[in-house]
Amino acid sequence: MTSDSVPEPRADMTAGTGPPLRRRASAVIGATVMLVSAAAFVIPLLWLVLAPTHTRERLTAGASLTFGSVADLGRAWSNLMTFGDGLVLDWLANSIGYSVAAVILALLMAVPAGYALAMYDFPGRRAVLNATLVTMIIPQAALILPLYLEMVGLQLIDTVWSVVLPSAFFPFGVYLTYLYYNDNLPRSLIEAARMDGASEWRAFVSLGLPLGRPALGLTGFFCFVQAWNQYFLPFVMLADDSKYNLQLGLQTLISSTAAVNPSYGATILPIHQPEAALAGLVTVGPILVIFLVAQRYLRAGQLGGAVKG
Amino acid sequence: MTEPRRRHVAPYLFLAPYLVFLLMFGVVPAVYAVGISFETPDAAFAGLENWAAVLTDARLLPSARNVVTYLGMWLPTMLLFVTGLSLLAHHHGGRISAASRFAWYLPGAVTGAAAALLWLFMLSPGISPFSPLLRLAGVSSGTDLLGGQGLPVVLTVMATMVTAGGWIVVVYAALNTVPGEILEAARVDGANGWQVTMRIKAPHIRPQLALMLISSFAYGTQIFVEPQVLRSAFTSQVSETWSLNQLAYFFATQRGNFGMAAALSLMLLGVGLLVAVFVIARTDLYATGSRKG
Repeated sequence: MTSDSVPEPRADMTAGTGPPLRRRASAVIGATVMLVSAAAFVIPLLWLVLAPTHTRERLTAGASLTFGSVADLGRAWSNLMTFGDGLVLDWLANSIGYSVAAVILALLMAVPAGYALAMYDFPGRRAVLNATLVTMIIPQAALILPLYLEMVGLQLIDTVWSVVLPSAFFPFGVYLTYLYYNDNLPRSLIEAARMDGASEWRAFVSLGLPLGRPALGLTGFFCFVQAWNQYFLPFVMLADDSKYNLQLGLQTLISSTAAVNPSYGATILPIHQPEAALAGLVTVGPILVIFLVAQRYLRAGQLGGAVKG
Repeated sequence: MTEPRRRHVAPYLFLAPYLVFLLMFGVVPAVYAVGISFETPDAAFAGLENWAAVLTDARLLPSARNVVTYLGMWLPTMLLFVTGLSLLAHHHGGRISAASRFAWYLPGAVTGAAAALLWLFMLSPGISPFSPLLRLAGVSSGTDLLGGQGLPVVLTVMATMVTAGGWIVVVYAALNTVPGEILEAARVDGANGWQVTMRIKAPHIRPQLALMLISSFAYGTQIFVEPQVLRSAFTSQVSETWSLNQLAYFFATQRGNFGMAAALSLMLLGVGLLVAVFVIARTDLYATGSRKG
């Protein structure tokens, strides 16, 4: 595991008080509680990774936390491809496309916005911060039906833009970059650049952008996860199932096959539990990888600082 | 253009793209919803008709009761798990703590429809690695679990798994900011580990826990995906208007009444706004006071 690559924060200095026997007992109990709960959290994920390597028979017989065979994984994959003639691949491409587009747009607007809010005093600054915080805290679900009506008005329903544009509106990213610049880019530095004759734009490009890279990374991470996991938004906006993302496609798969509820017998497709688990794995795989990569940044406490303010 | 003049214009130019989106996808939909909530389906002025229709709809109370039941289970569970595990991990430190925090955080990758799918499997006896536990609890099929009061329990387990780890990261980071001198002073005064945890550390993380409860509340009231996906596998066990957001969707699509859908969305938005204003008033999210440089 990569978790050892980052130096552990100083161990708690009060942990070692009290009589030795009691101290050891408390350490054992503490470790047990942590490990048992950690196992309970990880077992479902482990199951999801391993389940597609089993045949349906072995899986329902409870052979769940072992590796089956590569051949069975291959068969689950080709079975899954029978659904809508490889529709899952379309959904995967859509998920990637929507999320990457949302991240690019979100960064293009969040970085200069956060920079402006941190580096300038101007009339309306507080109003923009207020609106950002309010829209950041209100869950997007509250605005989805009105958004639908707006998209009807704009004639964007059932287009890629009806999903990408609302996903790119990411006030949390603006707040994050604002906080970052506020704490890490001294205004005196910008002032010095002005003295040297740099224009406002030049100061942003040569100081703001390079020094804001950590905030860019963090904003991109959160925005990608948010965009990848969109469900309600594409559910409302898209009618054509070849435009679905994976989250929405997964639900289509569940509701139109016997994969999860075997009493749904009305399908001739070979989509059963292993295939559904494989579809689930395709859906969460990229996020899981990103989480593995991002964990050392999160451990460094940047998220804590962001949420704490 | 003179230099100072440019300096006055620059921030607005930097902000312009974001402001367009803030207007388009934050402000306009909210304003649009207000307008539509006062219109009949034929776009005539309806007064408070839609609002009254929502409030007197027979489905509203059961949906609200479901959401409240779910929140009543989920929020205390989060408080217990996040507080308990964060303090425990911080008290013990070391490799087991680091590995556990990593394990708690990983399920955050599995959200929405994927989480619903995974948990349908986890709760099916026979296929689930937790089968022995399920049998102990007397569960013999998914139908058992989702009927009656089972659904809020299932949703609570799912949502806790998905979100607890991220909040533990936040709370743990906050625990690392307890000043070393204070811990040292407590130790010199003879405080034991338990006393330090309860008297110094627990009060220190109160702002993070408050923020967690408030934002979990805001998100919980909007629940839509999970019951909707569980319903696609168990249609007769999970009502199509189980949650308030599902009810709003029902008004819009099944009844073709966008006025009622907008009115209900606005009621939910009102709750969210109240919570947002509360958060902003109670916590120093602006950080304008601590400006440096």
